[in-house]
Amino acid sequence: MTLTERTEQPAGTRRPALRLRGIRKAYGPVVACDAVDLTVHTGEIHGLLGENGAGKSTLMKILLGLVPRDDGLILHHGRPVAIASPHEAMALGLGMVHQHFSLIGPLTVWENVILGDSGRIDRAEACAQVETIGKRYGLPVDPTTRVDRLSAGERQRVELIKCLRRDPSVLILDEPTSVLTQAESAELFTVLRRLVQTEERAVILISHKLAEITTATDRVTVLRRGRVVFEARTRQTSPQELARQMVGREVSLRAEGAALGLGALPVDGPEGTAAAEPATAPDPAVPATPTTTSEPAALRLRDVTVTVGGITVLDQLNLDVRAGEIVGLYGVEGNGQATLGDLLCGLVVPAAGTVELAGAPVDLTRPGALHRAGLGIVPEDRHRSGVVLDMSVAENLAMKSLGDVSGRMLLSRRKMHAVAQRLAAEFNIVTPSMDTPVRSLSGGNQQRVVLAREMSANPAVLVAAQPTRGLDVGAIEDMYQRLNRAAADGVAVLLISTELEEVMALASRIAVISAGRITGVLPTREATAERLGMLVGGVTG
Amino acid sequence: MSMSDNISTILASGIRLSLPLAFAACGEYLAERAGTLNISIEGMMLGAAFASIATASMTGSASVGLLAGAVVGLLIGVVHGNLSHRIEINTFVVGLVINALVLGLTSYLITISEFDTHQVAQVGIPVLRDIPIVGEALFVGRWPAFLILAIVPLTWWLVERSRWGLELRAVGENAQAADVTGIKVNKRRRQALMWCGVLAGLGGAYLAVGEVGSFNQNMTAGRGYLVIAAVIFGAWRLKRTLVGCALFGLADAMRLALPALGVTLNSQLLIVAPYLLALLTMLLFAAQHREPRSLGQPFERGTA
Amino acid sequence: MNGRQAADGTGRRILARLAPGPANWRVVGVTILAVAAALGLSALLIAVTGGSPVASVQALFQGSMADPTAWSSTLLFTAPLLLVALGVCVSARSGFFNLGQEGQVLIGAMAATWVALRLAIPGPVLLVVTFLVAALAAGAWAGLSSLMYRFRGVNVVVSTMLMTFLAQQLVAYMVTTPWLLQESRIGTGTVSPQSNKVPANALLGSVGEYPNLQLNAGLLLALATAVAVAVVLTRTRWGFRLKMVGLNPVTAESAGVRVAALGGFALAVSGALAGLAGAVLLTSPVGTNRLQAGISNNIGWDGLLVALVARNRPLVAIPVAVLFGVLRSGGGFLAATGVPPFLVDVVKALLVLAFVAPPVVMNLISRRSTGRAGRIVSTPARVPEEAVA
Repeated sequence: MTLTERTEQPAGTRRPALRLRGIRKAYGPVVACDAVDLTVHTGEIHGLLGENGAGKSTLMKILLGLVPRDDGLILHHGRPVAIASPHEAMALGLGMVHQHFSLIGPLTVWENVILGDSGRIDRAEACAQVETIGKRYGLPVDPTTRVDRLSAGERQRVELIKCLRRDPSVLILDEPTSVLTQAESAELFTVLRRLVQTEERAVILISHKLAEITTATDRVTVLRRGRVVFEARTRQTSPQELARQMVGREVSLRAEGAALGLGALPVDGPEGTAAAEPATAPDPAVPATPTTTSEPAALRLRDVTVTVGGITVLDQLNLDVRAGEIVGLYGVEGNGQATLGDLLCGLVVPAAGTVELAGAPVDLTRPGALHRAGLGIVPEDRHRSGVVLDMSVAENLAMKSLGDVSGRMLLSRRKMHAVAQRLAAEFNIVTPSMDTPVRSLSGGNQQRVVLAREMSANPAVLVAAQPTRGLDVGAIEDMYQRLNRAAADGVAVLLISTELEEVMALASRIAVISAGRITGVLPTREATAERLGMLVGGVTG
Repeated sequence: MSMSDNISTILASGIRLSLPLAFAACGEYLAERAGTLNISIEGMMLGAAFASIATASMTGSASVGLLAGAVVGLLIGVVHGNLSHRIEINTFVVGLVINALVLGLTSYLITISEFDTHQVAQVGIPVLRDIPIVGEALFVGRWPAFLILAIVPLTWWLVERSRWGLELRAVGENAQAADVTGIKVNKRRRQALMWCGVLAGLGGAYLAVGEVGSFNQNMTAGRGYLVIAAVIFGAWRLKRTLVGCALFGLADAMRLALPALGVTLNSQLLIVAPYLLALLTMLLFAAQHREPRSLGQPFERGTA
Repeated sequence: MNGRQAADGTGRRILARLAPGPANWRVVGVTILAVAAALGLSALLIAVTGGSPVASVQALFQGSMADPTAWSSTLLFTAPLLLVALGVCVSARSGFFNLGQEGQVLIGAMAATWVALRLAIPGPVLLVVTFLVAALAAGAWAGLSSLMYRFRGVNVVVSTMLMTFLAQQLVAYMVTTPWLLQESRIGTGTVSPQSNKVPANALLGSVGEYPNLQLNAGLLLALATAVAVAVVLTRTRWGFRLKMVGLNPVTAESAGVRVAALGGFALAVSGALAGLAGAVLLTSPVGTNRLQAGISNNIGWDGLLVALVARNRPLVAIPVAVLFGVLRSGGGFLAATGVPPFLVDVVKALLVLAFVAPPVVMNLISRRSTGRAGRIVSTPARVPEEAVA
């Protein structure tokens, strides 16, 4: 496959590059896509918006030949096409920039780039192409490096190069900015803009961030429950309108708005936080500043350093969370949040530094020590470290407090069920029975199982890591309410999030993490986009 | 016998004993790079050894027997591939069952059949065979032995330079990502197992119609596991894997030759040496993580 | 490698795949068909090679179930098979796939021999000590694999498999070395590569008096162990934690379970149970009551197959072990009908396939038809993304 120079055409020549008509796909009784129409023109960036489970990813999988459609027509430059395999999609010039799971670490950049082609391998040519494309689009990367030595941003460049090398007529990007800083995101959008304007390509941008959709796209299509509910020129619509279409009802500009990424919000956060915020407490601008109150912080991380495989992931991290407040830990993905979450799950032992709960250091080498000391955690990836999918709801609820559901020798199923019934009622866990495996619950209910288990131990500290990721709006609202209530009840809440709007809406203080360090802590009311942007970029505030 | 004669004899026998391993190891290496830790290689070798003698006996041609061995190895590869990378039964379970089945079946059949002795022709390379000490070992042998000279570079080229091999490596390192890129993960793994079957079949058949000339019950006697040990010893690199095969063959040759030379060295120690070496390699070099990352993990779409 | 990583993924995946799905009559039906096909294929093999399938079935029945004597022999094989299979159940629960039962049986038998011959303990206490030491030795042997995994990340499937060959040669060395366990020379007679016969007070006796039927104490030991393992796995906190470790080691660790220690210990327990099987082989009338290089006689491999068929459920393993015992004791009778006893190995392999394949196939079919993601969500203990950035 070669890189052909396309004749430049003035932007605005609008022909549909891709038309989807009546696409339908059902998984058993679940209809993922129902009569979906989508038209993408050459020369435009088309935003595809929708909640989790709205059918965006199924639609894209159909487009890429990964999933066969049940019904519907795909017209590529006016010609109907089948797209039965990824190769066919590739041959048609449909290219996808995947966010995760598509680069192979131990292989080099050039090997990754030519993966999926056919024909003989020409190393020299592949390297040259990587460099040419890199130069042309401002995506510099060394073709002979192993991919697992690259940073997240560099990997994204490789993904883009891999895709652009195939000279795609339609480029699909799936949540491309989640691992990028704001500056990197801006750069990406500049590249995309150039692609569509000067090279007669079309871009489909999948995102759940309204702000991103409104600034970067020309047209936008909103999917809800497998159907197209709204289509408009981006200029002629508003974030509020898009949010309303996405959810299907009026959206309040409070927590719910934050759930949808509806811009930074007025300061008077939701009920609960404001009340719980200690009015007189000084907001330390520098994390290491000792608290002046006599009460020790409920959770204190002191000079926590974690190295994995010789790389410092957390670098002398300091953070305080006091009883009754919500502290938001904000930053771009991949700056140490995952490791911090693992640390607070008891999965990682720091090379240096201490974690203190109510002033007493916790011995992290002892499994379950954090839990016993009163720390509850809703982990970032609940399937990995929050639940055991193939165990029942009752078992998952009881697993951290087996002593409470045991007789002298044996486990008591009766007690386990009683506890589960009570928690399910209290936390609105919707499940056919307490013996149902957690695997068959919805994401929101799985998350409620985790939260119920953690709250049932009456923790003094609650850590919620990306607690709303992958949930629908109803479940997100529920989660926000519970976090606020916990704080109001005097629990110290640490909210680790990559969603600025979420942090702004819930937290009274925002700590920014960059490259494993806290670069600054601000009261939410003083947090401006500029200041946060500087901190996220690693400029210590 | 002089010292150099002894060395020459042990060297020659060591090479002969390591050749079946080397053929099979090329196959196992390739299968493991694609992510299958193929324990049915024992069954492939044993089944092929039996098939080669049976076919040679029926057709009268040892060379046809050799071919039959490769075909049986291929068939076992196809069966294993389909059971574990299509129907998705765990690969170790499939391997155990295949090994038990092949062992039972060949033992059963050899007990009720009579086969003639058949051996392929011996060839020697003029001039070079007269080099002292190594000449006899390196330049005289049953003709299929010289196939290894083609198979090793071919295997290397396939894995490291061909597109197919790039895809195999991708599948072995990260099956989910390879799938997203449009590579048919399970298909590549099945293909790798087929290639592994052909080479393991050649190895087993070479043992039977090449070196021994007949088949006896459980003839391979764990050589397949030895091949797995060689790949581990080689840390998933072809060159080191072959060095492992040579070492293991030499250890075996010494075990057989030393008593005749009046040297007493514990035979059990020589038998376990390969396994010990493999274990030690893993213990000492574990930190290097040379192992393909998807090794032994079944692939299902949507599991990551 | 900090030793706090999660249990080996291999076994966990096997566990997830073999875990009993909801009782599904279609699976049962297909399994019955598959078993019939396996038996049919075996019969075909006999017929094609000139034997008589009917006569073979009769011989199998004669040798294993026709009368109390035959049953006695069947049950003698059942006991060690069951013990090995129970060990597999335990390690599979924890997510480790132990492939080294054959070697662990040998180590158990070897340690038992050493105790029985070398320790002058009077009375039945000797028997108890023999069994304890056999379990401890084989447990420690398997424990080596868990240590290698824990501290050096060595794949458990591979290390347990390789250790089997070490065990075989170790036992061979023991019984060929006069100052170790080789039998004593009487006068100028020749000595074989085997140990002396273990003393009478280290032999397992029969329980109860029945005409022609011998119920060896080894069987009772195995049955009691099966019940105990079943209770421990399903009803105790330890069993609960083990299940967590097997199904999701990361969540288990964050719930305060010492994953590496617990998983490693489960592997050692599985070795210990195989070691008990070795002691039973030595001290029950199933063999010669001497340590020989071939004393394990593939009991370890067969026990593994028993557990596969029983899908790692301890109580289901009981009837399966009896079935495998039937095949073993009946196989000896086959030769009389002109059919080589190796036939039973073919039947065994086909049967295992017939039991293992249908649930996997049905699961696959239902998954393909609904298009839902697989039952297994992989949770590898991998380096966090930012670590490699």
